[in-house]
Amino acid sequence: MSDSVITETAPDAEDVVDARPDEHAGDDHGHDDHGGHHSSLGLSNIKLAMWLFLGSECLLFGGLISTYMLYRNRHSANLGPDQLWDIPFTSASSFVLLTSSLTMVLAVSAANRKDIRATKIFLGVTSLLGGLFVAGQIYEFTTFYREGLGFTTSLFSSSFFTLTGFHGVHVSIGIIMLVATIGMLQKDKISGDKAEAVEMVGLYWHFVDIVWIVIFTLVYLIPA
Amino acid sequence: MQAVTPTTTVKSVTSRVRIARLSAVAVLAAAVAGCAQDAPQDTWDPAGPNAQKIHSLDNVVYAIAGVVGVIVFAVLSVAFWKFRDRGQPIPEQSHGKPALEIVLTIIPAMILIGVAIPSVSTLMALNKTDDTECIINVTGQQWWWEVDYPVQEGCGGIDEPIVTSGQMVIEAGTKVLVRGTSRDVIHSWWIPRLNGKRDMVPGRVHTVRLEADEPGIYAGQCTEFCGLSHANMRMEVVAMEPDDFAAWKANQVEAYVAPEEGTLAAEGESTFVAQCSRCHQVDGLTDNDGELVIARPDQNVWSGAAPNLTNLMTRNTFAGASWDLLSNECRADVWEADSADVGAAYLEGVSESCLNEVELREWLRNAPAKKPMYTDPESLEETNGLPRGMPYLALSEDQIDQLIAYLLERK
Amino acid sequence: MAIIERPTESPATEAPAPSASTSYGYLRRPVETKGWRSWAFTVDHKKIGIMYGAVALFFFIIGGLEAGLIRLQLAGPDGTILSADKYNQMFTMHATTMVFLFVMPMAAAFANYFIPLQIGARDVAFPRLNALSLWTFVFGGIFINTSWILGGGADGGWFMYAPNSSVPFSPSNGIDFWTLGLLITGIASLVGAINLIVTVLNMRAPGMTMMKMPIFTWMGFVTQMLLLFAMPVITVALFLLMFQRSFGATFFSVEAGADPLLWQHLFWIFGHPEVYIIVLPAFGIVSEVLPVFSKKPLFGYPFVVFSGAAIGFVGFGVWAHHMFASGLGPVSVAVFSVATMAIAVPTGVKIINWTLTMWGGKLKFTTAMLFAVGLIVEFTIGGLSGVTHAIAPSDTQQTDTYYIVAHFHYVIFGGGVVGLFSGMYYWWPKIFGKMLSETLGKWNFWLMMIGMNLTFGPMHIIGLQGQPRRMYVWTEYRAGEGFFNLGFWNLVATIGTFVLAIGVFFFLINIWVTHRPGSKTPPAPADPWDARSLEWITSSPPKEYNFARTPVVSDLDEFFHRKYEDVGEGDQHEYVQHMTGEEVIQNEEDNADLNIHLPAPSYWPMVLAFSLPVLAYGVIYSTLLILAGAAIATMAMFGWALEPADAPQSDYDPTDDGGETSKELANV
Ligand code: HEA
Ligand code: HEA
Ligand code: HEC
Ligand code: CUA
Ligand SMILES: [Cu+2]
Repeated sequence: MSDSVITETAPDAEDVVDARPDEHAGDDHGHDDHGGHHSSLGLSNIKLAMWLFLGSECLLFGGLISTYMLYRNRHSANLGPDQLWDIPFTSASSFVLLTSSLTMVLAVSAANRKDIRATKIFLGVTSLLGGLFVAGQIYEFTTFYREGLGFTTSLFSSSFFTLTGFHGVHVSIGIIMLVATIGMLQKDKISGDKAEAVEMVGLYWHFVDIVWIVIFTLVYLIPA
Repeated sequence: MQAVTPTTTVKSVTSRVRIARLSAVAVLAAAVAGCAQDAPQDTWDPAGPNAQKIHSLDNVVYAIAGVVGVIVFAVLSVAFWKFRDRGQPIPEQSHGKPALEIVLTIIPAMILIGVAIPSVSTLMALNKTDDTECIINVTGQQWWWEVDYPVQEGCGGIDEPIVTSGQMVIEAGTKVLVRGTSRDVIHSWWIPRLNGKRDMVPGRVHTVRLEADEPGIYAGQCTEFCGLSHANMRMEVVAMEPDDFAAWKANQVEAYVAPEEGTLAAEGESTFVAQCSRCHQVDGLTDNDGELVIARPDQNVWSGAAPNLTNLMTRNTFAGASWDLLSNECRADVWEADSADVGAAYLEGVSESCLNEVELREWLRNAPAKKPMYTDPESLEETNGLPRGMPYLALSEDQIDQLIAYLLERK
Repeated sequence: MAIIERPTESPATEAPAPSASTSYGYLRRPVETKGWRSWAFTVDHKKIGIMYGAVALFFFIIGGLEAGLIRLQLAGPDGTILSADKYNQMFTMHATTMVFLFVMPMAAAFANYFIPLQIGARDVAFPRLNALSLWTFVFGGIFINTSWILGGGADGGWFMYAPNSSVPFSPSNGIDFWTLGLLITGIASLVGAINLIVTVLNMRAPGMTMMKMPIFTWMGFVTQMLLLFAMPVITVALFLLMFQRSFGATFFSVEAGADPLLWQHLFWIFGHPEVYIIVLPAFGIVSEVLPVFSKKPLFGYPFVVFSGAAIGFVGFGVWAHHMFASGLGPVSVAVFSVATMAIAVPTGVKIINWTLTMWGGKLKFTTAMLFAVGLIVEFTIGGLSGVTHAIAPSDTQQTDTYYIVAHFHYVIFGGGVVGLFSGMYYWWPKIFGKMLSETLGKWNFWLMMIGMNLTFGPMHIIGLQGQPRRMYVWTEYRAGEGFFNLGFWNLVATIGTFVLAIGVFFFLINIWVTHRPGSKTPPAPADPWDARSLEWITSSPPKEYNFARTPVVSDLDEFFHRKYEDVGEGDQHEYVQHMTGEEVIQNEEDNADLNIHLPAPSYWPMVLAFSLPVLAYGVIYSTLLILAGAAIATMAMFGWALEPADAPQSDYDPTDDGGETSKELANV
């Protein structure tokens, strides 16, 4: 375990920069906060994984958005975006979602300060705002439905509901993650770095927000 | 230096490597040289300028591919032979020579640029649509092609639309523009000796150029997988001299002549009205009240179409050009006729003595048994009860006799 | 603290056990080290790799039997072995099975087993997610194949073009099984991709920079990147298709104004990267094998690395070459045509570098080497026919004929599968500690080579003679006469298939002969091939913890450089072996690390994976099942989240000899 061993077998290892790693094999739970993790990039595994996952998600939403853009004009005369959109309402709910990003940032910084109480509060506010957004979306969907726009009414409606529905499901999963994090903080069940766990949820949450900004711009604001 | 590796029988192995390589080259060479005359869909036997353009490009491309392949295999064989383990010392652990690498990267790139230029110009030439002399529409549906000639000045003048199926008749030497679409799924129009293929997509119109240098019959096949009977969705282009083509056009628009009273064919006519005319149009056919009979395939077949049978016996094949209307002997007279005589032979149509009665009967007796089609009444739930293809009609042998007599007059 | 594989020499220096280990979640973690449980719940990347491989091999045989039926049907004109309907299911399922259930998982097997070993890691970054990938793939594969007994397999062709995939055109449930099954296996690929990318980026042994990574790991890494970005696209396509078929949406219904080409774009944006996902792992394998048996480093390592990355990159921009006849318009066609030609350049770099690796070497033609050489030859043939497709005007004559079928079997079988076989022979002693018989191996190789050329070689002729693909019968009338007639060459192709099958059979015999109870095959030497990379610096098969000591890397080809020394002067090189492989390994063992912690097994990956087919059956048959599946999934996710990464110490204490672990609580 000592430097001498290294130099014995690899005499010319000048570029051996890393310190001896902790011997933990892959560890997806970050359960031990003793000892530094070895990571070649200096970014924790779980964070890297989340970034990769979000990279992949970009293409998922890319595909859904492209489908919507292709089909946005294919609807009957009186059930298109022009008749349905309630821009002030959706702007308001978009604003709610954006605000939740802010509270998420506050939660992460509280977690970094190890202020568990504030973390929980901000996570709670974030999930409430997220919940408000989802509620707004459900309200919007039911309004559209009552005006006659079902999932299968037209290509426009199918691709609209698919795109925004997928986003809504992402927000809902985010809310579950937020609530679960609060619960686990409460019960002290998070075995690894708490701040990192919160940050992870935050990454996901911000991503979902950014996707919404794109959707809001392309779907609602740019005229068909 | 000690050998850590278990030794192998190096010598016999290398020679076998060479045999494998040689046979691989032989297969490639055989493919490269593949221009036998006989398969009717041979892609290396162009019979018109469009296919010829592709073929000229092919010659270059296949030659380059062949040469590159031979070089790679030659170098490999030398390496196998020369550097096999004969106890030589461990070679230098060199990690490569960047200059050599770069050169060997640039060479293929240059070759490809060399190929790209003619291929793009050929592509553009093949996509020209403004110089054609005759427009013919094709519409694919499961599992046959409808061919129709809209009224136009092209094609030597067409005053009344002509609708036929399975076979497209054109004038040799005329630049034809095929406009195609589909009524259900994607099909692909392909007459290999005249041009490459083009998908015919529902909701879109795609075009493809066709031109035959000489009169003749050019075989084709639907090449986009379109369900159950994709294999049985064929087509033919029949190219003929201008006079013959004019005669063909005139024949197609001749007025309907009802069968003589009291003949078998006359009985066939009423059977036809009763059984067939809900799907199949025969132009000019009237019912007992003297009303024109208009087929409503849109209400009876899922794709909304069935072949127009007005001039069935002027065609040589039926049901997606999958079976001959001509018996074997008579078929040969048309298909193996000299180029100059093809038109005349084709215009003979199908006479009673030449009819391939066996297969036409099989068709009428039970079409889905001859050609796989989704027509089982029990499984038509998803298609609102409409069959995809021609259903089993439970005709008696007598009815079939009558129908054949009737159909024989449709020319 | 969990599995302690060797006694701690100085327990006092150990940090106290983390408090989280007292938390159990719902269930205690499984602790068996023997018996089926030790496999079913394992999170060991090696065991997972082996299971991936075994299941993939099983699906290879299934896919091969389907291919056999296809070829029997086409042996003569108007074949009657299969009905049109069964034939259409057969080639769809053949392709789906081979691509998604054989080649991809087999490559995943190698990646799983060898990427951690090649980078000197003890496991992958997320062992439980790894187990999840495995079981999702297994359950997804089984799910797709249950369609055979539940009304027939999918019948739309493996690229499932719309609108032929809509319910009116394919009323059976086959396509539903296909759609949902691929969504499930897609999860396996995506999770696996994230896992392996993190592993490669973050868990390399000290000293192993990216440019010292073994080339197989590099190619595996590029493959996983392709998966990461290609899977979501097909996921979108599959969701749209599912909504279309199961919930009445009209994404592909032309009557509703849909554009059928949308599906084609989505499918091929995934589909083209997919073909490189198939072949790059094989490229990685032969790039390991050729240097070993040439006794030279891989020629132009950085070029091979960057060309691999370039292939991956350009591969995302050429999808429309599958649509040259779809009516895209000449300008797009021209652009995609030229882009496709461009991809021949980086691929050519690989062929050239492999050839130059052998050039000047000291070649030993073992079975593994023969397969590697076989790949170069067969893939080049397939690649060159690929370039002829890239010429768009030529392709309009070739597309959807057997000439295409010839192309892709040469690259897929001659490239992908042959490369995987090379890997099997090369790494078998590493994985199982026994050498496969070289004699049987050579039979295997030659029969497979002859068989594949007899099967797929004639398809060039058949295709250029105008026989379209996906036809359940071909007719005498269109067969022609003379040397190039379709009848003869179709028959040859069918005969070739059986030669090929016998070749594959020899592989199975080889495994049996080597491993059957009472087999006299001695244990393999630790370094049978005089290998060069890190995975060999440990015992064969490796211990659960992979390396006695985390290796410290200073060279590409680290193992070689530990064994050999260049004593030449100036430009003269002379290599002397100053250590055998055994000695190197012994040296590592002598300096073994203390206190190796390994993640403990878990039930949850399998439970979570199991919920997916339940959900999928639910989509097809009943909402109740959807609810049941969702309940299982929720339970599994919470169990997972609450489960500590390691088993509590008392469950898994070391025994006195330091080897086996106790099983006193094994039956929890
Ligand atoms: C392992 C999988 C794999 C690989 C690696 C490739 C590699 C290539 N493929 Fe292939 N392809 C498939 C699998 C694969 N393909 C499949 C499955 C299909 C059909 C799907 C379906 O329809 O079902 C298909 C179909 C397909 C088409 C569509 C055909 C059609 O349907 O009409 C095209 C068109 O451009 C194409 C091109 C290429 C090219 C240019 C390469 C290149 O990457 C090849 C590059 C290699 C070389 C060129 C050889 C070595 C190079 C040299 C020795 C250097 C010198 C060379 C020159 C100067 C030319 N492929
Ligand atoms: C990884 C991909 C992969 C692999 C390995 C293979 C392997 C084989 N393929 Fe496949 N194939 C595809 C991918 C693949 N194929 C794809 C994508 C298509 C397109 C489908 C579509 O159009 O939708 C296709 C289509 C396809 C067709 C065209 C069907 C058509 O268009 O109508 C044919 C026809 O000959 C064929 C044949 C074969 C054969 C003979 C093998 C052989 O190499 C198989 C050899 C293996 C075995 C035989 C198994 C092991 C043997 C035993 C256990 C012994 C017992 C077995 C027997 C006695 C038979 N394949
Ligand atoms: C419900 C619709 C329907 C009815 C009724 C029907 N057909 Fe058909 N028929 C079709 C369809 C669809 C096809 C095209 C099948 C194919 O080639 O795939 C066809 C094809 C044919 C063909 C081949 C035509 C060609 O040009 O290729 C003949 C001949 C034919 N039918 C005769 C008859 C006769 C005679 C009857 C009455 C006894 C009849 N059909 C009743 C739907 C019908
Ligand atoms: Cu129509 Cu294939
Ligand atoms: Cu491709």
